[in-house]
Amino acid sequence: MRRLLAVFLCLLLASCGSAAGPAAFAPEEADRLVIYTSHPQSLYAPLVKEFEERTGIWVQVETGGTAELLERLAEEAAEPRCDLFFGGGADSLTARKELFSPYTSPMAEEVAPGFLCEDGSWTPFSALPVVLIYNPVLVRMNPPEDWESLLNPVWHGRIAFASPTVSGASYTALATILQVLGEDALESFYHNLDRQALSDITFVVDEVSAASAVAEGSCPIGVTIEPAALAAAQAGQDVRLVYPKEGTSAAPDGMAVVRGGLHADNARRFIDFALGQDVQRYVERECLRRPVRKDLLLAGEEDLLLMDYDLYQAAANREAVLARWRALEDGA
Amino acid sequence: MRPWVRRSFRNRIFVTMLLAALLPMLLCGVLLMRLQIVRSEEHLTRDAQSQLADLRAALDNLGSACSQAAGELAASTVVHSALRRGGGDSRTLYQVLFRCAQPLAEYVRFDVYDRDGFCRYTTAGGLPDEFLDPDWGVLRAAREAEGVVLRSGAEGGLTAARAVRNYAGTALGYILITAEQSGLDRLFSGLYPAASEVLLLDSRWRPVYYSRPSQMDSAAGVLRSQLLAGEPLSGGGYRFFVLAHEDTGSTLVLQQPRAFTDTVLEAIYLTGALMGTLCLLLSLLAAWILSRYLSEPVQQLDQAMGEVERGRLDVRLEADRSDELGRLAVRFNRMAEEYRANLDRSVQRQKELNETRIRMMQAQLDPHFLYNTLDTMKWLGVGHQVPQVAQLATDLAVILRASISGPEIVTLERELELIERYVDIQSIRFEDRFTCEIDVPERYQSCRVPKLCLQPLVENAIVHGAADREEGYVKLWAGEEDGELLLFVSDNGPGIPEDVLERLNSLNKELPGGHLGLFNVDSIIRLHYGERYGLAAWNQPEGGCCVGLRLPIQREEKADAESSDC
Repeated sequence: MRRLLAVFLCLLLASCGSAAGPAAFAPEEADRLVIYTSHPQSLYAPLVKEFEERTGIWVQVETGGTAELLERLAEEAAEPRCDLFFGGGADSLTARKELFSPYTSPMAEEVAPGFLCEDGSWTPFSALPVVLIYNPVLVRMNPPEDWESLLNPVWHGRIAFASPTVSGASYTALATILQVLGEDALESFYHNLDRQALSDITFVVDEVSAASAVAEGSCPIGVTIEPAALAAAQAGQDVRLVYPKEGTSAAPDGMAVVRGGLHADNARRFIDFALGQDVQRYVERECLRRPVRKDLLLAGEEDLLLMDYDLYQAAANREAVLARWRALEDGA
Repeated sequence: MRPWVRRSFRNRIFVTMLLAALLPMLLCGVLLMRLQIVRSEEHLTRDAQSQLADLRAALDNLGSACSQAAGELAASTVVHSALRRGGGDSRTLYQVLFRCAQPLAEYVRFDVYDRDGFCRYTTAGGLPDEFLDPDWGVLRAAREAEGVVLRSGAEGGLTAARAVRNYAGTALGYILITAEQSGLDRLFSGLYPAASEVLLLDSRWRPVYYSRPSQMDSAAGVLRSQLLAGEPLSGGGYRFFVLAHEDTGSTLVLQQPRAFTDTVLEAIYLTGALMGTLCLLLSLLAAWILSRYLSEPVQQLDQAMGEVERGRLDVRLEADRSDELGRLAVRFNRMAEEYRANLDRSVQRQKELNETRIRMMQAQLDPHFLYNTLDTMKWLGVGHQVPQVAQLATDLAVILRASISGPEIVTLERELELIERYVDIQSIRFEDRFTCEIDVPERYQSCRVPKLCLQPLVENAIVHGAADREEGYVKLWAGEEDGELLLFVSDNGPGIPEDVLERLNSLNKELPGGHLGLFNVDSIIRLHYGERYGLAAWNQPEGGCCVGLRLPIQREEKADAESSDC
């Protein structure tokens, strides 16, 4: 009786066949690459597509804020899913450099020396000056001219800024401000920020950025990186850029090979590819980012007043500053 | 469950019938259902594969036509000279361009780019202000490759490009043939059913074309991640059929709506379950009725057997069936009848046997021929003046007469009279060495007892007890207990040996040995009155033995009246 029942069930199950998988179409492991990126899609998608077409490698992209993706990397450190970290301020990457495996690209010779990482744990991709933006409709008189003006009580609760706990570029901006104005400026700067914007903005999603918050008029002024501001201005939005009088930082964002990644070779090929002249030129033209290559640097760099930004100090202070920041957020 | 099944014949039949009815039906039902589903899915699969083949053929045709046209244009001296000159609008070139593009105009657009990536000529309306980076994307690929290269656009669509080279092999410009979504729509239309969707993917599974343009990116993204994760392609209630197009490295995906969506399957399974339940109920009912029909006669037979075992021989079964069970009932009835008759016969025979045995026992006490002789002896004794002889003969004659004739049952008074005569005889024989005392109250005199039941007791007391003594003493007395008559005979002799006592008091009277008289008395009483009556013997502590009889008290009223009359 019991055996009969078993046979019956077996028949039932056997008749419920399952669909065949498309295994035949899937690429080999050697032809894969997994990228975590904090860049907007408009930047990474054409690059990835071009890379795929030139190399035949299948790329999987996962997006998120720099800080958030770095956390994920740290969690997965024992068994990394990701091979290449693409994006994120150099200071953020330096702060977590234990997650990366150093790589010196043959293309590194072409890179302007100021952008290179000391120990090769990351490779620069583009230079990102931090700029101030304002909406000329909302700010008719006395637009902000320097970092100092961000602490002006006039802007209390009205500055658009992405949270540095999420965005790497935002941390770079914060570190720049602190290096110019001193460590104590953190609290007064924080109190001038628009809380709503703080929680909404990330640099990942193009639609919600400090630039768009200013352009739409929800905040009169904001702090962001140059390409985001230029993109908004070029798209016809009502945004003005201000390069602060004290000078600004132009820390590079980086790319780094994840330690223990399955497809490290492909990750290195991507870094070589991304430093290529054609790619750097494409990025400059299409994404309004300043290239890091010596041969492309010359054009139009004179308008930028650079301060003496200490990237390694910023990286070293990262945890402490972010802890203070979180305390402020929790306190609020 | 199992003990319940095993307990009764009916339950066994019930479960067997239920399984026999239900299992094959359920099995068939489920298999048929699955078969139906599998067959129709197979059918749909064949459809989808033939549609895919059609789509591929269409793509092939377009591809080869484009490739040929691109080759013609790239070799055309008109194109060469126009690109070398870098000049503006050339009518001759447009003539060539339109001649090549004409057959494909429905599907594709032809563009001619110069070496710096600016669009010079196009079959699209108006001169576009287009620029393509010659170091990027499709132009770079075309420059680096020999023949035609294919690239998907960022927004979908497919572009075939071929470099136009001078004799040194340097690129002068590029022929671009672009199929937009609308062109591919026209190419694929009618090759697949309206309910299905077609997705064209490039070599890295980036989207080229989707029959629902607004969802192109998301649909392709889902499929791509499923492919890379090694999962089966699925989603949106569709079945996915994939065909690789080797020439272009692209992949055709046909999304066919599932014929058996979850709701349809649910309905099918629900119907199946309902049918199954209905069948279960019907089978239950049928099995119940049938098992009752089959098992009822067996149960009745079982009960009747039990009744017979308990001794009710008049139980009969209704024999209203003509099958084996009916015949079984008839035979049972006949058997019970036979059994009862047999029992009656054997009881009757036993009775007859008992009567024969009683008569035989009486015959032992019936030396018939002596009677007349004794009478003669009496008269001889009287004639010869020997009164003891006459007395002996008279007493013996009375005893013999009583034993030969007269009723089987006599009054105690009459029995005691015979005892007195017997004692007289024994007194003469043993020269008065014993005395006998009879002490029976008047009220028991009329009790009825089997005749000569006391004589063997008294004989036993005199012969084995009192006669061996100088002062022998025999006593006969009566008593009553629980409404039953007790008669005792005791002596002061040596007592009865233990083994004899044991035999006397046991119920097995068939054991051999002496004291035949006592055994006979016991047998007679038991046969007359039943097993609860009879004889018992024991040795008295003060010496001698005592033998008792237990009898029911049956008074002879008539006999009393007769005796009072006398």
